[in-house]
Amino acid sequence: MSKISRRRFFEGTGAGIVATAVPLQGQETKAPPPGTVPRTTIQVTVNGERRKIEVEDRWTLVEVLRDHLGLTGSKIGCDRGECGACTVLLDGKPVYSCSQLAVWADGRSVQTVEGLSPNGQLDPLQQAFIQHDGPQCGFCTSGQLMSAKALLNRNPHPTLDEVRHAMTGNICRCSNYNRYVESVMAAAGTLSASARRKA
Amino acid sequence: MNTLNQVGHPSPRIDAQKRVTGTATYTGDIRLPGMLYARVLRSPHAHARIRRIDVSRAQALPGVKAILTRENCDVVWGSGDTRNKRYLFNNPVRFAGDAVAAVAAMDRHTAEEATRLIEVDYGTLPFVLDPEDALKPGAVEIQPGGNHSPNNQGARQPEVYRRGNIEEGLRAADQVFEDHYTSAHINNAQLEPRVSIAQWEGDKLTVYASTQGISNCHTEIARDLKLAPENVRVICQFMGGGFGNKNQCHDFDLMAAMLAKQTGAPVKLEFTRKEDFLAVHGRWPTKQYYKVGVKRDGTLTAIQLRGYSGMGPYRKGSGGIAGIEIYQCPHVERSVTQAYTNMAVSANLRGPDYPQGVFGIESLMDDIAYSLNMDPVDFRLKNMTRKFNDQTPYTSIGLEDCIRRGAEAFEWKKRWHAPGVGFGPVKRGAGMAMGSFFSSLGRSSAVIDLDSRGMYHVHVGVTDIGTAAKTTMALIAAEELGVPLEKIDVIWGDTGRCPYSVGESGSRTTTHTGYAVVQAAKDLKRQIAEKGLPQGDQMLTAAANTNPTVQNAARYSFVAHFAEVEVDIELGHVKVVKYVAAHDSGRVVNPLTATSQVKGGAIMGIGMALHEELLYDKQTGLPLTAGYYGARVMTHLDAPEIEVHWIETEDPYGPFGAKTLGEPTIIPSVAAVANAIYNAIGKRVKDLPITRDKILAVLA
Repeated sequence: MSKISRRRFFEGTGAGIVATAVPLQGQETKAPPPGTVPRTTIQVTVNGERRKIEVEDRWTLVEVLRDHLGLTGSKIGCDRGECGACTVLLDGKPVYSCSQLAVWADGRSVQTVEGLSPNGQLDPLQQAFIQHDGPQCGFCTSGQLMSAKALLNRNPHPTLDEVRHAMTGNICRCSNYNRYVESVMAAAGTLSASARRKA
Repeated sequence: MNTLNQVGHPSPRIDAQKRVTGTATYTGDIRLPGMLYARVLRSPHAHARIRRIDVSRAQALPGVKAILTRENCDVVWGSGDTRNKRYLFNNPVRFAGDAVAAVAAMDRHTAEEATRLIEVDYGTLPFVLDPEDALKPGAVEIQPGGNHSPNNQGARQPEVYRRGNIEEGLRAADQVFEDHYTSAHINNAQLEPRVSIAQWEGDKLTVYASTQGISNCHTEIARDLKLAPENVRVICQFMGGGFGNKNQCHDFDLMAAMLAKQTGAPVKLEFTRKEDFLAVHGRWPTKQYYKVGVKRDGTLTAIQLRGYSGMGPYRKGSGGIAGIEIYQCPHVERSVTQAYTNMAVSANLRGPDYPQGVFGIESLMDDIAYSLNMDPVDFRLKNMTRKFNDQTPYTSIGLEDCIRRGAEAFEWKKRWHAPGVGFGPVKRGAGMAMGSFFSSLGRSSAVIDLDSRGMYHVHVGVTDIGTAAKTTMALIAAEELGVPLEKIDVIWGDTGRCPYSVGESGSRTTTHTGYAVVQAAKDLKRQIAEKGLPQGDQMLTAAANTNPTVQNAARYSFVAHFAEVEVDIELGHVKVVKYVAAHDSGRVVNPLTATSQVKGGAIMGIGMALHEELLYDKQTGLPLTAGYYGARVMTHLDAPEIEVHWIETEDPYGPFGAKTLGEPTIIPSVAAVANAIYNAIGKRVKDLPITRDKILAVLA
């Protein structure tokens, strides 16, 4: 089972995602010869279920989740580690799954938004997101939920500022930040009186 | 105002569970059997003529199925330019990001690799970035006929509005104030990147789009591809924001359709985030020159604006600069020139003409109030609009209440002070600004079916871009029908199943389509009274095609925002510490989601005030900050708590008196923050965004 280094990834086909200030038609990269894209078989526990899957070494984790495992709840907003829409938990820690190669997840455990309500029973966070109008367009919501989940797992009763810090890697262009923070505080049972008062 | 049963009560979104469980299907989540993936190659130059394109190496790459360039595709994208013919692929290319080729392949990596194998020989041309420079003699001609984009009458003249006589007004003044302001190109930056999936069955085309208006998208795809409208279907179930950049059919919808036609397979065309920032459009940058005449007692005698908007190389938006209409004044002249430049294309972004114009005029009015020793709140109460253009009465106006109640909630008297007082290094200041936005009425349709199980199926052509339009339609239907919300089933986002809707632009969905829902519900009630409830396999259907108008009045929403900031005068850092937004949008249909709209719009405006700009390298004409980090869009840590107050005026029009809401939320926020910064440091930054370097420069 070959391990792919970050350097090898960037030297290869991943180069297109780096740097914002270069001309669009970046440097031509040395892609592997056609038909010889290296592939690796990995084993990943996804939402509690062990999956064995052969992946192209250049596939990112979010690509595999979305395109090959049918878990489209994780979104691709930027594909370059800026927005957080693809946030999943990797061995319990929040990561941008667009910035992880799938092969790096070999032998590890991934939780996605689909894993928050495995038996159809909504997580308290999901319930709070509904009641407090967390999602506007909803495209960043899965990422917001996973960052919040990681926070509450390690800190069940966070302060407002702790919530903001934990979730600041999740951009919401609808800018519904007040509602997301309010939702997480409500789920943690620590909703402030002032936030509760408001519609 | 009378209390209603459903409308006016906070209701979670009817589709919220899907949005929090990852089961809401956005366009990019759709995967069709045999689907190919497409990528676009774009110009790396600000302005260049393509001398030769060689696709042979790309074509030879295994897995590549089709390549479109100008040589084999001459489709004109009608909505891409309202003045000139804009092709899907143009030669010359006129901005860094202009499309050169599109490739469909077995998977996205192959498609992306193929774009890199296309060899393009560019002959670079001179470029111009600034709208005033573009109009100077000798500037490179970007479009045939010159860089002065024709106005709405087709003349290469500014858009002009006049009332009274500006010279007379300036002469009548005790004092004339003159100043100028600039605003930057910023991107809509909606979280969902652009994606389109096209599928042909015979001569019938289905496009899974990410659009703010399925009806417009449908009409325009049929027009541009010369198809019978009945042979086109546009579907958009969940969509991840747009803020004005998904109003029309877009070039990538057409490219996906052309690639699908050529390959005989469904094609999904995806944009990268960088393409999204460069190749769609953002807010037009402006330069604004004002002259304002005022009497010693603060009465306005004249307002003159000469403005320039940089539209990029294609005319996709109005390029207007609005804001002065919030003041009553006998002599007004506004003249705005739209110019072609080699920057990214400019068009609609939430409140298209407004936040930048309100920033300009509200900065100057603030300065005038200070120099007359008037409280800025009193100055606005004295001079705010009472009639539209001082002529036409409003259907309802709650602007004075917005200002008064907002000021009270904000504790204006306590927070506002003489400019620049206070001891460093962190200085506090308070500012406010006001605004208005056209609350349109107009054409839309709705169909409601009632089945024998007592379910009401409401068909509306909305797409719900995050505004909770579906929930709003359901609440309005439930209210008018007098049934619980659970009995309403909304069918949306599919031109094959829904009637015409104006689309989620201009903040029109509630007022246009909501009104159609009310009328369809009234018709259905009449039918029930006449025929009784349907039994067994029976169904009752009511349709409404409505186009209400306002008689001898102007219908507007009003808003006043108040901000308090802390400015670190050593670092130039600004933090918004308190924020109050007071809105008159008539009756509020759903206070829960409406409040979210205000919070979001205000925070987006704070980002426009403090952070966002698509910066260009003046030497190369290339963009430097395309992306979330570069644009520095607001994050959790930047966002203050937004306190929202509703001034619910009774308005005789609209569904239950609802006026427009989504866009007014951003209109005065930029100016309120700018004015608070002035109050804190006693110096005025006149160029957006108000970044640290600019603050330190005015303090130096």
